[in-house]
Amino acid sequence: MQSHLLTILILLPVIGAGTTVIYSLTPGARESHLRWIALAFTTLSFLVSLLLIQGAGGGLAAFRFAENYSWITAIGARYHLGVDGISLWLVLLTTLLMPIAILSSWTAIAQRQLTYFVLMLLLESAMIGVFVSLDLLLFYLFFEASLVPMFFLIGVWGGERRIYAAVKFFIYTAVGSLLMLVGIIALYFIHQTATGIGTFDYVVLTETLRTNVMAISPRAEFWLFLAFALAFCIKVPLWPLHTWLPDAHTEAPTAGSVILAGVLLKMGTYGLLRFNFGLFPNASRQFAPLMITLAVIGIIYGALVAMVQPDVKRLVAYSSVSHMGFVVLGLFSFTEQGMQGALYQMLSHGVSTGALFLFVGMIYERRHTRMISDFGGLARPMPWFSALFVIASLSSIGLPFLNGFVGEFLIMLGSWTSSAVQHAWIVTMLAGTGVIWAAVYMLWMLQRVVFGTKTSEANAKLSDLNLREFALVLPLMVLMLFMGVYPGPFLSRTRASIEATRRFLVNPRPAGAPDVAKGPRDNQSR
Amino acid sequence: MSLIALQATNPDINLTLIAPELIIGIAGVLVMMIDAFARRGQRWLTGGLSIVALIAAGGASIWLGAGWRGARSAFNGMIVLDDLRLSFTLIFVVVSILTILIAAAWIDIEKLPAGEFHALLLFATCGMMLMASAGDLVIVFLGLEILSIATYVMAGFRRTDVRSNESSLKYFILGSFASAFLLYGIALIYGATATATLPGTTNIATIAGRLNHSLYPPLLLAGAAMLLVGFGFKIATAPFHVWTPDVYEGAPTPVTAFMAAGPKAAGFASFMRVFVFGFPIATAAASTAGYTHKSWLGTLAIMAALTMSVGNIVAIVQNNVKRMLAYSSIAHAGYALVGFVAAGAATDAEQRSAALTSVAFYLLTYAVMNMGAFAIVTLIARGNDRRTAVEDYNGIGFLSPVLAFSLSLFLLSLLGMPLTAGFMGKVMVFTTAVRQGYLWLVVIGVLNTAVSAYYYLRLIIVMFFRERNTPWDAPRLPVSVALALVITIAGVFYLGLFPGRVLNAFGAHPSISLSIR
Repeated sequence: MQSHLLTILILLPVIGAGTTVIYSLTPGARESHLRWIALAFTTLSFLVSLLLIQGAGGGLAAFRFAENYSWITAIGARYHLGVDGISLWLVLLTTLLMPIAILSSWTAIAQRQLTYFVLMLLLESAMIGVFVSLDLLLFYLFFEASLVPMFFLIGVWGGERRIYAAVKFFIYTAVGSLLMLVGIIALYFIHQTATGIGTFDYVVLTETLRTNVMAISPRAEFWLFLAFALAFCIKVPLWPLHTWLPDAHTEAPTAGSVILAGVLLKMGTYGLLRFNFGLFPNASRQFAPLMITLAVIGIIYGALVAMVQPDVKRLVAYSSVSHMGFVVLGLFSFTEQGMQGALYQMLSHGVSTGALFLFVGMIYERRHTRMISDFGGLARPMPWFSALFVIASLSSIGLPFLNGFVGEFLIMLGSWTSSAVQHAWIVTMLAGTGVIWAAVYMLWMLQRVVFGTKTSEANAKLSDLNLREFALVLPLMVLMLFMGVYPGPFLSRTRASIEATRRFLVNPRPAGAPDVAKGPRDNQSR
Repeated sequence: MSLIALQATNPDINLTLIAPELIIGIAGVLVMMIDAFARRGQRWLTGGLSIVALIAAGGASIWLGAGWRGARSAFNGMIVLDDLRLSFTLIFVVVSILTILIAAAWIDIEKLPAGEFHALLLFATCGMMLMASAGDLVIVFLGLEILSIATYVMAGFRRTDVRSNESSLKYFILGSFASAFLLYGIALIYGATATATLPGTTNIATIAGRLNHSLYPPLLLAGAAMLLVGFGFKIATAPFHVWTPDVYEGAPTPVTAFMAAGPKAAGFASFMRVFVFGFPIATAAASTAGYTHKSWLGTLAIMAALTMSVGNIVAIVQNNVKRMLAYSSIAHAGYALVGFVAAGAATDAEQRSAALTSVAFYLLTYAVMNMGAFAIVTLIARGNDRRTAVEDYNGIGFLSPVLAFSLSLFLLSLLGMPLTAGFMGKVMVFTTAVRQGYLWLVVIGVLNTAVSAYYYLRLIIVMFFRERNTPWDAPRLPVSVALALVITIAGVFYLGLFPGRVLNAFGAHPSISLSIR
């Protein structure tokens, strides 16, 4: 059955962008109306995307809402879309964060609004496309296309060092993904050699892998894994490839940071989970110790560097390095809890870090500074802001009953029992210190910004949250609580897909399938 | 003499098969006559006639591709009809139409004689078409000279400008030099393919058949090397690229646009035909044919790597937009060469056809995005090419949004970002190269793409992220250029999103004139 829901989801923002442009060309158009159009279309996208859950039901091992058409016959590329448990929530996270991001730019973006909203809408299309594409070429197309709007968002509406940040962001991520393109093409021909038909279709590729029709030689798998992983690890970003992130996050406008942290980083971990695990199971196992080591270094490094940042936004940016390290750790633990936790942590990080960037944006709009030392004693003039900011920070730390806890707990549970590395408990203990560090840098920051003595007279006169700002953070706050106390609905929908991926990862050859390549490979992975 | 004798014995004349060339050639003569008798206010007449003729030629070649059921070669193998020819003919038509549209504004600004320009352009197009349809080295040379002489004049079209004169002269001297190389190569090949009973040959298919019967193989190799150098000059591959930046910078911008897209593609068309079909892959590697094939293929692969790297790396330090785009065009020739190498290495007809198609497709995408970029550079440069420095683009992003966003689109396409034509072109070329096992070449190509991000982005950064300090009077967008922009923007998206139709059309009739031995 072909459903068009996903195409509609991808096209809605594009139509929105078109509408904005057409509206701005009509006589009597007012710039202040543009944001309403953008808000309307992003909200509509969100509402439409809700249909994905409703239709999802229980187990989600297979791809649903699939659309599969021939796209470029000459090279067998297909327009193949679908969601499963892994991508479902990421699509929803995207569509949820977009209207919030638009709303957060309500007053912050005063100039060149038309271009701004058009770029935001195009960005949404690209991001949704990344999560629902099941054709590698199509995926790559969206993956790279998402760079351009973000490049402009940072470069035009960013802070003082925006040009540097934008270029660094673009070159880093674009260069990283170029080798993936070579990998994709190579995979195409490996499949063609094995079956006579070249394809970029992920479902077909995994199917031929699982049924042992196609075998990738260990050497090829090693390089292919690296080509894909480089692209994704830069996006995550995994230490030591993270250096673009603090600059990009700090210089981007608030909405840009929300989207960057909330969605763009997830493309990396999503890619690892979907493509690296799904296509290169043996190499994934082989690389697990390395990836886990880097992830743990990232967790601790990110936390320690966050601690000494004088700039709130930069602090939140570095905390992302730490949190995303947890996600990678969970993924490469190859246990159900760990991988489930990793996926949960992706969502939870999107929600809480998104909220944190929003709060930072709010005080920046009021004071035009983000230096921790310029603040202090905000609790008195801005009680609501302070309360909610504290909750968001606590959720980022991983306090029980808030969303951050569930993910990190599951990840550590998984990594403790993991057999991917030797002495998994040491790794877990080290990662666990990341939670403690998080408490240190977050609480210390809260103490200096929200509580403490007021350092400047300007702080005393700050106004509290207005209605729009409440509306902005309220959904995220509700989600934090909900995801903290009742993770069931989320996890139950991801379980089947995660389990299917994991089973293949741990034992790529199904029982009964001809086991040609098993012997030497297993030796190598040990 | 021999030609007359041949016709007397076997008059293989088929005017239908050269219909596109005939249409363009006749139109060129007509344009010259109209220009001589037309009054001042009738400048549009020559341009209009040229465009009509080009569309007619395009229609004729589409018809030859889709509807023609007759012979697929004529004039005793001098003219052939296959995909390689038809796809390149269409590229030339697109390039020339866009050049006329872009040049319309420039001719007005500079107060230049429009009719002469259009006539020269049509003759150049005729030459390019002949180069693509040539089945014989003599026709290749003939087409090349028709093309080159017209282009030399076009490069120096702004007589009063020293840079334009320099460009023209440089192009003429180095171009003649390259032509001489080519001619010498043809002569050597002719000598080397002579057998004890038969005289030598310049027919490409026949050359392929005689490789292993060559009486003096070193002569053959020397001839092939000469041809390689000659063609290498024409399509500006490193290390024969040195003339390009100076010529491109000095020539009037619309002419630069034309030279980067049209003659380069024409060079590729005959270069590929001569080497892929004239010195094809041989079953016995130890034979003369095998050795020749291995030699040119290896050289070409290295030239491809070198061309991509030199073009991209040197482009980084350019401060003149035209010069930057000149180096970028060198780099793009390098990417196209990757596909050419794959075509040379292909072992069966289907794979070879796919590789040739990918090169043709790549050059089409390059033509579209390159013409688009140059259209905007022409507008911004104004009269006398005054504003072509990177600083002149400072902060114009939101002052002339249409121009700046279109230029950004073309630059992103040249960079190879997805959704644009440039991406699909690269995917096609790289795919065929991976298929033939040239992974290392593809990796170099991809790394070069990364390098190129720097200079393409630089222009975008300058336009959008910087503020303008000097006053900016936005150029008026003439209708003709607007039309060119609409065509190129639509082309960039169409080729980037739905390349299927074009690819299928380009690969519908694989070449017949090949003999694998």
